[in-house]
Amino acid sequence: MTQETTDPGSRGFLADGGKYPGLLGWIFSTDHKRIGLLYLYAVLSFFLVGVALGLIIRLELIAPGETIMSAQAYNALFTVHGVIMIFLFIIPGIPAIFGNIFLPIHIGANDVSFPRLNLFSWWLYMIAALIILASLFTGGGPPDTGWTFYVPFSAETTTNVPMAVFGVFILGFSSILTGINFVTTVHRLRAPGVNWGRLPLFIWSLYATAWVQILATPMLAITLVLLLAERLLGAGLFDPASGGDPIMFQHLFWIYSHPAVYIMILPGMGIVTEIIPVFARKPVFGYWAIAFSSIGIAAAGSLVWGHHMFVSGMSDMAVLVFSLLTFIVAIPSAIKVFNWVATLYKGSISLDPPMLFALSFIFLFCIGGLTGLILGSAATDVHVHDTAFVVGHFHYVMFGGTGFAFFGGLHYWLPKICGRMYNKRIATIAWGIMFAGFNILYFSMMILGLRGMPRRYYDYLPEYTDLNLVSTVGSWILAAGLLLMFVNLLRGARSGPPAGANPWGGLTLEWTLSSPPQAENFVNIPVVEHGPYDYDKVSPP
Amino acid sequence: MYSHLMAVIFIMSISAGFSTGAIASNPPDPPHIHHHPQAAETTTSEVGLEEQLGQKIPLDLSFVDEQGKSVTLQELVTGPTIIAPVYYQCPNVCNFLQAGLARVLPQLKLTPLEQYRVLSISFDETETPQLAESSKRNYFAAIGREYPPDAWRFLTGDLHNILRLTDSVGYHFQRQGEDFIHPVAIFVVSGDGTIVRYLHGTSFLPMDLSLALIEASKGRIGATIRKMATFCFSYDPQKKTYVFNLLRVAATVTIVTAAAFLTFLIVTGKKRRQG
Repeated sequence: MTQETTDPGSRGFLADGGKYPGLLGWIFSTDHKRIGLLYLYAVLSFFLVGVALGLIIRLELIAPGETIMSAQAYNALFTVHGVIMIFLFIIPGIPAIFGNIFLPIHIGANDVSFPRLNLFSWWLYMIAALIILASLFTGGGPPDTGWTFYVPFSAETTTNVPMAVFGVFILGFSSILTGINFVTTVHRLRAPGVNWGRLPLFIWSLYATAWVQILATPMLAITLVLLLAERLLGAGLFDPASGGDPIMFQHLFWIYSHPAVYIMILPGMGIVTEIIPVFARKPVFGYWAIAFSSIGIAAAGSLVWGHHMFVSGMSDMAVLVFSLLTFIVAIPSAIKVFNWVATLYKGSISLDPPMLFALSFIFLFCIGGLTGLILGSAATDVHVHDTAFVVGHFHYVMFGGTGFAFFGGLHYWLPKICGRMYNKRIATIAWGIMFAGFNILYFSMMILGLRGMPRRYYDYLPEYTDLNLVSTVGSWILAAGLLLMFVNLLRGARSGPPAGANPWGGLTLEWTLSSPPQAENFVNIPVVEHGPYDYDKVSPP
Repeated sequence: MYSHLMAVIFIMSISAGFSTGAIASNPPDPPHIHHHPQAAETTTSEVGLEEQLGQKIPLDLSFVDEQGKSVTLQELVTGPTIIAPVYYQCPNVCNFLQAGLARVLPQLKLTPLEQYRVLSISFDETETPQLAESSKRNYFAAIGREYPPDAWRFLTGDLHNILRLTDSVGYHFQRQGEDFIHPVAIFVVSGDGTIVRYLHGTSFLPMDLSLALIEASKGRIGATIRKMATFCFSYDPQKKTYVFNLLRVAATVTIVTAAAFLTFLIVTGKKRRQG
C-alpha cells in the first residue's frame, strides 16, 4: 500500500504549483494541501496579532488603576482580541488547516469534492479578515462591544461596529462552504475499503463539526443582518422603545455562538484522538464511542445556548432546562476523556512532543470542562457570572484545549507537510514553558474571579493586585514558550533533517505518502484493508 | 403563549467603559430614563445625564437635613462622598436606587463616616425634612445592622440650590405633575467636590463603589466603567410576529435544506471514479 512514488528529496506539492508560477501558484491553487497552507499562514499571523493584544491587556492589568491605557482603549483591545482569536483563529483554525490538508488524504482521495469552492472559501476568509482589520483603523475607531456584539450597546456605540459585523458575516459563509465541502467529501470520496468504521476519528470529528457549521452558522448570519438593520435602518427589533426585545439578540447570538464553541473544540479532540494511539502503539479504545460522542457533542451542544443568559432574565423553567442540557454535554465529553485514558492503559507510550501536547490537552480540557459545569449550574453561575472566572474557564477550554491540540497537530504533522523534522528537545522545552506559563496565567484568573474580580474592567480593587501580577508574569512565560516553539518549528521546517515518510509510525494513510506528499496525493487510489489504529493486526509502514 | 408580559423591567448591564475623552465625543447619553406611565407621551429630549467628570460641584450650596437643620455641602462633603439625586415620593425607581445603596453599603470594606459619606438629595423642592426623615428610617431599617446615622444623610432644599447642584453634575430632570422624568444614577465626589465617577442604574456592585471611593480619596478621576441601560418596557411578542416569522422561515429553510443535502448524499452514495 505504500506509495513512495517520488524520490525522498523531492519537495512534492510545495514545489509543484500547477498552472501558475510563484505566488500566483499558491493563491490560485485548488490543491487542498496548498489551500491548507494558505490558511496556516493567515491563521497563524492573526493568532500572533491576537497574542500581542492579549499580552497588552495583561500588561494593563498588572497594577490597579490606569497603567498603560485608557478605559476606552482597553475596551477596544479586548474586543479586537476576542474577535480575532475567535473568528479568525480558533473557529477556522483546525478544520481549515489540518482538515484541508489531511481530510482527503485520510480517506484516500486526491482532493476535496469541490476544490474551486475550497479556494473560494479561503478568499472569503481573507476578504472578511481584511474587512475586520480595516474596521480597526476606520470609522469611529475599533469596536468596543466585546466579541459578542450585545445590543443595545452595539446598536448605539459610535465605534466601527457595522464594518466588523459585516466582516464576521462574510466569514460565516467561508465557514458554511467549508462545512458543505467536507461533508460531501466524506460521503462521496472515500477510497475502496474506507467504510464508516474505518474513518480516522479526526475525520469523524471534522464531519460532526461540518454539520454544526452548516446548521448553526446561518443563524449567525441572520443575527448579524438583524443587528445591521437595527443600526443602519433603526428597525427596532431589539429596542424596547419600538416594541423589540433586546434579550432576543442574546438568544440569536448564542444559538450560533455556543455551537461554535464545539466547532472550536471538536476538531481539537479529533487531533488528540489521532495522536494518542500512535504514541501509545495501541488500537484506540472505544472507536464507536468516540465517533458517536463527537456527534453527541455536536447535537447536545446545539441546545445549550441559554446557559450564557442565566442572569439576563429568563423563566426559571428555561434556566432549569438549559442547565440540565449543559450537564448532558459533559457526558460525551467525559466519554472521550475516559477512552483516551483507556487507550493509554498498558500502551507503549513515547513522550514525543505531539504526545506531550495531547496529554496536556486532556489535563487542561478537564479543568476547563469541569469549571464549565460550575458555570452551567444556575446557582453557582450567578456568583461567578461576568467575573475573571469565566475568562479563566474559557481560556482553559479554548487555548488549553483547542490551542494545545492545534500545537500538537503542528508538531505531529509538520514533518509530513514539510518533509523535515524540528528539534524535539527544544520542542519539549517549549512545551514545558508554555504549560507552566499557561497555568500560572489562567489559574490565577479563576481564583481572582471566585474572589469577585469582574471581567472586562481595565481597573480593579487593590486586594486583587497580587494575583493579577502573577497572572501577567504567567502571560510573559507563556509568550516566551510560544516564541521558542514557533522559532523551533520554523527552523525545523526550513533546515531540519529529513523526516522520512513515517517518523511517528502512524497507520493512517498520510504516512503511506512521501513527506511532503506530491501534488496528486495518490497515483493509484489505495484500497484500504485495515482500520486506522489496528496496531494489534498490522505494523506501521 | 407569552402574551402580555407587561412592564417587564429589564436592566441590561453592558460592562463597557468610556474614557473621559470618548464621552465628550459621544452623542448625548442614551436613554437611562425612567418613564413614568403618565409621562410617556411628553418629550424627554432635555432629560438625561451629561457626565461632567473632573468638574467641581459648588460646595457653598445649603440644604436642610432630615432634622430640619440647615447644612451646607461644605460641612458634609469632607471626604469621598456618594451623592444620590432622588425624590422621596418617587413611585419606584428612586426606591430601587436607594434600596440598592442600602444593600451595597454594608458590603463595603471602607469605614462609613471616616472614609466616606452618603448624601441622598431630593430634587423635588416641595419635599420636606419629614419625608426625608421617614425615608431615612426606611433605608436604615433596610440596612439591617448598625450603621452610623451621620454617614448617610437625607437632604431637601429649594429649587435654586437644587438646580445649581444638578446642573453642575449634568443631571437633567423634568417635572411631570407630581412626578419626574429623570436619569437613574448616583455619583461620587472627592473632598473638594470634584466629580470622580458616575454609577448608572439602581443596583451597584461593592467593587464599583469601592473603586470610585478609593479614586475619590486619591483625587483620581475614574471612568464610567459600567454603563447601564435601564428600560421600563412592555413587550408583547404576539404583536411582533414579523420578526418571529422571519426567524421561523429562515430556520425552516436552513433545516430543510440541510436535511435534503444529507438525504441526497446518502442516496447518491460514493462517487464513481473515472479512470
